[in-house]
Amino acid sequence: MAIFGPRANLFMNTALLALGSALVFMLLAVWVVPVMGYNTQDRYAPNQPVPFSHRHHVSGLGLDCRYCHTAVEKSANAGMPSTAICMTCHSQIWTNAKMLAPDRQSLAKNIPIRWTRVYTLPDYVFFDHSIHIAKGVGCTECHGPIGDMALTWKANTLYMSWCLSCHRDPAPHLRPKDQVFNPHWQRTRSTPSGKALMAAFHIHTKALSDCGVCHR
Amino acid sequence: MTTTLPTELPADAPIVAPDVTLASLSDEVSERILTNRTPRWWWVGFGLSFTLFMVLPIAMAWLFINGIGVWGVNIPVAWGLALAEYVWWIALASGGTIVSALFFLTGSPWRSATNRIAESMLLSAIPCAGLMPIMHLGRPGLFYWLFPYSSVMGVWPQVRSPLWWDFICIICYMLMSMMYYYAGLIPDLATVRDAAKSRIKKIFYGILALGWRGSVREWQNQRTVYAIMSAIMAPMVISVHSVVGLDFAGGLTPGWHDTQFPPYFFFGAVISGTALIIMLTILVRWGYSLQNVLTEYHLNAMAKVMLVGSLMLAYAYVWEAFGPIYGSDVADKTEFMHRVFGFTSPAFWSEKTLTVLVPQLLWIPFVRRNQALLLAISTGVIVGMWQERFVFTTSATEHNYIPSYWGVYFPTVWDWATLAGTIGLFLTLFFLFLRFIPIVSIAEVREIVHKENGK
Amino acid sequence: MSAPGRTYWQTLEEIADSPEFAAAVAREAPRFKDVMHGFDRRRFLQLMAASIALGGLSGCGPESNPRQLLPYVREPENVVPGHDRFFATAVTQSGYGTGELVTHQMARPIKVEGNPEHPASLGAASAIMQASILQLYDPRRAQLVVGNGQIATWETFVPVLYNRRGTLLDRKGDGLRILTGAVTSPFLTSQIAALKQQFPQMQWHQWEPLHRDAEMAADTKMFGQPVDKLYDLGKAERILGIGSDLISAAPGWLAYARHFAAARRPTETHGKMSRVYAIESTPTLLGAKADHRLPLRPDEIDRALRYLAGQVGAGPQDWAKQTNLPTQWLKALADDLQQNKGKVLVHAGREQPAEIHLLANAINNSLGAFGQTVNFISPVEQANGSKQQSLAELTHNMDAGKVDTLLILGANPIYDAPADLHFATALKRVPFSVSLALYDDETALASTWRIPATHEYEAWSDTRAFDGTVTIQQPQTRPLYGGRSAHALLAILLGQPEQDDYALVHAFWQKQAQQQNRGDFKQFWYDSVRSGVVAGTAAKPLSVQPSSDVLSHLPQPDAAKSNTLEALFRPDEGLWDGRYADNPWLLEMSRPFTRLTWDNAALIAPATAKRLKLATHDVVEIAVGATKVKAPVFVLPGQAGDCITLPLGWGRSAGGLGVGAGFSAYPLRGSEHPWRVPIAGLSKTGETYRLASVQGQDRVLGRDLIREGTLQQFNDNPDSLKKKSKDESLYPPYDYPDRAWAMAIDLNSCIGCQACTIACQAENNVPIVGKDQVLDQRIMHWLRIDRYYSGPADTPDVAFEPMPCMHCEDAPCEVVCPVHATVHDHEGLNLMVYNRCVGTRFCSNNCPYKVRRFNFFAYASRNDRPDASWNPEVTVRERGVMEKCTYCIQRIRTTQIAANRDNRPIKDGEIVTACQQSCPTQAIIFGDKNDRESAVVKRKDTPLDYVLLDELNTKPRTSYSALIHNRNPAIKNEQA
Repeated sequence: MAIFGPRANLFMNTALLALGSALVFMLLAVWVVPVMGYNTQDRYAPNQPVPFSHRHHVSGLGLDCRYCHTAVEKSANAGMPSTAICMTCHSQIWTNAKMLAPDRQSLAKNIPIRWTRVYTLPDYVFFDHSIHIAKGVGCTECHGPIGDMALTWKANTLYMSWCLSCHRDPAPHLRPKDQVFNPHWQRTRSTPSGKALMAAFHIHTKALSDCGVCHR
Repeated sequence: MTTTLPTELPADAPIVAPDVTLASLSDEVSERILTNRTPRWWWVGFGLSFTLFMVLPIAMAWLFINGIGVWGVNIPVAWGLALAEYVWWIALASGGTIVSALFFLTGSPWRSATNRIAESMLLSAIPCAGLMPIMHLGRPGLFYWLFPYSSVMGVWPQVRSPLWWDFICIICYMLMSMMYYYAGLIPDLATVRDAAKSRIKKIFYGILALGWRGSVREWQNQRTVYAIMSAIMAPMVISVHSVVGLDFAGGLTPGWHDTQFPPYFFFGAVISGTALIIMLTILVRWGYSLQNVLTEYHLNAMAKVMLVGSLMLAYAYVWEAFGPIYGSDVADKTEFMHRVFGFTSPAFWSEKTLTVLVPQLLWIPFVRRNQALLLAISTGVIVGMWQERFVFTTSATEHNYIPSYWGVYFPTVWDWATLAGTIGLFLTLFFLFLRFIPIVSIAEVREIVHKENGK
Repeated sequence: MSAPGRTYWQTLEEIADSPEFAAAVAREAPRFKDVMHGFDRRRFLQLMAASIALGGLSGCGPESNPRQLLPYVREPENVVPGHDRFFATAVTQSGYGTGELVTHQMARPIKVEGNPEHPASLGAASAIMQASILQLYDPRRAQLVVGNGQIATWETFVPVLYNRRGTLLDRKGDGLRILTGAVTSPFLTSQIAALKQQFPQMQWHQWEPLHRDAEMAADTKMFGQPVDKLYDLGKAERILGIGSDLISAAPGWLAYARHFAAARRPTETHGKMSRVYAIESTPTLLGAKADHRLPLRPDEIDRALRYLAGQVGAGPQDWAKQTNLPTQWLKALADDLQQNKGKVLVHAGREQPAEIHLLANAINNSLGAFGQTVNFISPVEQANGSKQQSLAELTHNMDAGKVDTLLILGANPIYDAPADLHFATALKRVPFSVSLALYDDETALASTWRIPATHEYEAWSDTRAFDGTVTIQQPQTRPLYGGRSAHALLAILLGQPEQDDYALVHAFWQKQAQQQNRGDFKQFWYDSVRSGVVAGTAAKPLSVQPSSDVLSHLPQPDAAKSNTLEALFRPDEGLWDGRYADNPWLLEMSRPFTRLTWDNAALIAPATAKRLKLATHDVVEIAVGATKVKAPVFVLPGQAGDCITLPLGWGRSAGGLGVGAGFSAYPLRGSEHPWRVPIAGLSKTGETYRLASVQGQDRVLGRDLIREGTLQQFNDNPDSLKKKSKDESLYPPYDYPDRAWAMAIDLNSCIGCQACTIACQAENNVPIVGKDQVLDQRIMHWLRIDRYYSGPADTPDVAFEPMPCMHCEDAPCEVVCPVHATVHDHEGLNLMVYNRCVGTRFCSNNCPYKVRRFNFFAYASRNDRPDASWNPEVTVRERGVMEKCTYCIQRIRTTQIAANRDNRPIKDGEIVTACQQSCPTQAIIFGDKNDRESAVVKRKDTPLDYVLLDELNTKPRTSYSALIHNRNPAIKNEQA
């Protein structure tokens, strides 16, 4: 009596094949999973206590970024607008719009509004807004088409490799100083080349990818 | 392959007993693992080993919950028992490869009967070794950062670091050893499959045997592959252990910073590996009463290898002392003095005695053939080698360049638990091999039998 | 990594106004309820600290979700989120104030630094000053008002005291006593004066365990009036220290140390250098720096000084012949002093008896030191009588039942009063005693009422420095634990209970300003508070007439009693008199000589130890009179024979973390002998006790770690100490085109005061590990001060060597890390990337300098300090990662970013590392090696510059300046 019929080989080979491919698949997963949108929370747009629309305020009314994010040129933190800043206008217009109720409450009760973070950096990464602004990195380079976002969504993975891609080769991401806060800026024929801008801003890439630049 | 019988072979020691026939050999060996009546000594041995092994998960759990602090390591002595054991286990494992691969190339006849024991030992020792470096990490979960893959961090491992070389070496060595082992095993599995009575065993060994039929072509391929693999394994084992040596020699630490350590470590591997094989051979012989297959001849031959190993080691020890004494580095001197006369000195001296002095007894033929003595000596060698690794690892950092930061190292109960656990793991695995895999390479011994007893 | 404050403050605000928190607070800490209405930034701080104190509060509710951003409701003016702000104030130690700047991050005080404009600091900050920030946040501080054993509130206490005021008024304050420490605060004094008017019968007592009674008495005798002495170390070319605390504890020591070191850098002073002699029983920092040091027993010191006095003509001639003293040594000293008339300074420590101070004064006088190196001002302390008498009177009155109302403001006599006064029993006879204390200490627990006091960073007050300069102390935060200030307490007695201390201090200075007609008060107030110094308040020099015949009726010296053991009492370098015994940083700070942490020990000279068959770790029982104290022995080279030094301040039995650490020597200390007492019996108990010293070996064992020479040698051939093996390498040298950070440490200046260690700990979030871990050799200090001996064991030379990371250009640690966790950057910094570290610890094995530290456990998260107290600019390291000195990279980056922002170069001295900033002697200089003009290059270019373990060719960026001794040729070294 033969235990292994003629088909045994077929079974065996398929089994081995399956095993092999399973292995390959698992290895692939190691590369693929981290970059999946699900994992990076790409385009993640949380609800906010006040459905603030950059599209309306920036593109529509043409407010400057710095009007609300007051510290962005001076400090590491861009600075979230205080309730008072919202109310400079909204004490005049839409004074009793329903969607602005949280603002009025906050001011009345002297309790801050609780916005939900869109970008969260790990605590061992020390990012500084001011220096990026000073060196001609536009807001949209990291925040995406922020000027056209009805509800703010996460436009980048914030992976270290993403940071490095620019720190290793900043040229393509630079723009003239006066265009930094322009949400719809496009590189045109007249804009100076990346190289020229690098020179203008005194950017030396050599030391830009040192670990100590972001990790302390 | 041809077996030219070496002349120094004692007249009274044939490679296999005259009464062994081709048929009896296959039956005897395969019967050992096919039988349903598992011998009592196996249950006892396995039971004890397994209980000991169970210490390991506990030790690991405690370690991972609380952190590396539960061990005795500190600053200056940042590497402790774990690393010493790592080196120790790797040395034992390498011994297996040396016997099975190196002596395959030299075509030593005695190797055919013992190589399966050697390789089983190697496969049981490697996991013990492999665990150590990972357990000793401050953040063990991140060990895979040593693996060169394109991560989202956009950074790669540091290829200048001996630790990285080590990591790669161990992985390759592990995979190679398994394949090498399996390649040599296939024909025997087939033999067992054919000898098997019960359907389950037939299927089990049948699948493992990969449908081996024993056709000439298959034999040809198998032998070729096996030969090639041996040719790869032999130099590999040397490189692997040299790299382990570089983990230390690559460091700027008095007592470690010395070019001799790669060979030094390899010599250690030769002697400790052989010693362990001798131990196991004697036990297997006794347990499975395979005296007629595993004869004095084998023990005699391996005893000689062990003797050579101890001589090589003696040479290394001379240089270990010569460097600091001849050299001009104060730190080197003080460190060596600490090793020799410090509070680790008992270990230092007993290590030298057990690994170099005592083995000199093996010059005497009587000792080489007396199993009790052999067992004692080889046990001594293994213990001695452990002490050597321990002293070497810890004493160097204890007395470093900055006197104000000298320190001492005391292993904690968790250090010892880890040692015990790994020993348990080793024995457990070996007992399993003993029970389910032909512990003597039937195919190769058959050749010997054919030539010896010409039937 | 575990969350540092940087992002944490947001979630904390969230705690503050989440309803769950409100509920929790209402449940667990009713007294915080009022804070809940009307959220405000500074107040949330107190909640935040409280929440940790209350335990587990911060763990509940939605605040565990970090994905929330809470902006201001109304943005305060000129607060830029993420920018440091500095506020000037001062801390006091035994009354004397030292000015400082407190760094604020997002309205949180996180770091203390010296105030360069303040005469007592000159920019430096002592270890104790820096550790005060941790005390501010300490969750173990007193938090509850307790009256007669019942938990009460301030609101219930006020009427009680106020009613008492009524009855006291009728009795003209008879039975009312106030006990304080040494007081220099003008306002507190005025308050007490005001009380004195309302209650003529009341009395004010002061107690300082580490008083300067002897010195005060001697000076009063010498000059006919109490004075404070100011020393001019710039002028002093010959300094004789007699158990001197001139550069370790004397009021203004930070400033003195600065001038002391400045006069001892031959490379900067053209080969000139002051020569220092020390005669002392137990090693002092001045003794460690001395060119000649003579350890003597106290009675020997007395005779030695008489001999000197005789020699220099300050005392009777027959004193000038002395037996059984190293006469030749003293003779050489006497001659040297005499040859330098007018440039001599003799200083005796506070522990020396009045006779010694008289002798010192006399010698100073006859050598023309007065007016030159020693100047006089009228005492800074407002009540400068004998503290010991003052306390004694009080206790006797209490025993006699004459005291029925006792206010104890910040003193802790039950722990530290002379044993023979039995203050504890006396206190039991006081029907109404109020203790205002920072901790529930021994005295507070024994009083009928105990009130949590405000920390000096929580209340308005004022204080004076050693030279009389006034600082107005401004609070850095609202009281975190509901403490109250002494001012507020006295205000109640004065009948103004509703006044808060801001109003009081403000009003007081308004009056002062008017009297001193300082013009616009607003401006005056602003300037004074901002700069931390009230202009022109330094005391005017006092011209005094030293009487010349003080020595004539000096009591005869007690005859030399050989081999009778004496116990000496000394302040502890970290805990002072015990008031800092709750401070983890100071407890784990290694003491300069013993390098002990978490314990004090009985310090015994090697010879004496051998005679008594004692060794370190043995436990002995020391009997003085009837009282016995058990203490572990520590054999200390350089200690004088036959006297055992017992550091005070340890063995607290209540209040804070220090409870149970070390032993208390106070029980042995009586009013009769405050500083030295004959030991009745010393017996070996046979027990041993593990002392956690962080020093491995005491000597360099042939390594070239401490390079030293003599001034003679240096002046003959400045390069005589140069010894540089040419750096050969197989690899081409790496060039650093733009900047190359480097550090230079001057061993001649380092006095081993440990300020840098604590500064580093505060700046870089270095956790404490606890005694057990120290014993396991796992202490985390990034910057340690190694102490090496050379020469004979009984009179060794001492060298202090600060050891930060060397930032080697060819760093051995870098090549062995398998994951690039420690790497070099383009400015030559040896970076440590915590988040990349997997913890192989190979780098530490490979570091020849052993400056790397490893988180064997999750130390940072084990430290129970509010998360808000960590420095948000530095990652808080998690378990299993390596860490080390980074040259304060966070400071480098902040400045660099600011400079790059407006494309300007970084000025030399713009970046100051924490250790450099705190160093009183400017031993540490940091800067850019490429900038040829920078201070660091100037020092590195001196012939004394050398690097450690040169032969390893690691090319360290941190280099050292060799030690230079200004030896007296007339003294052979074997005579010490």
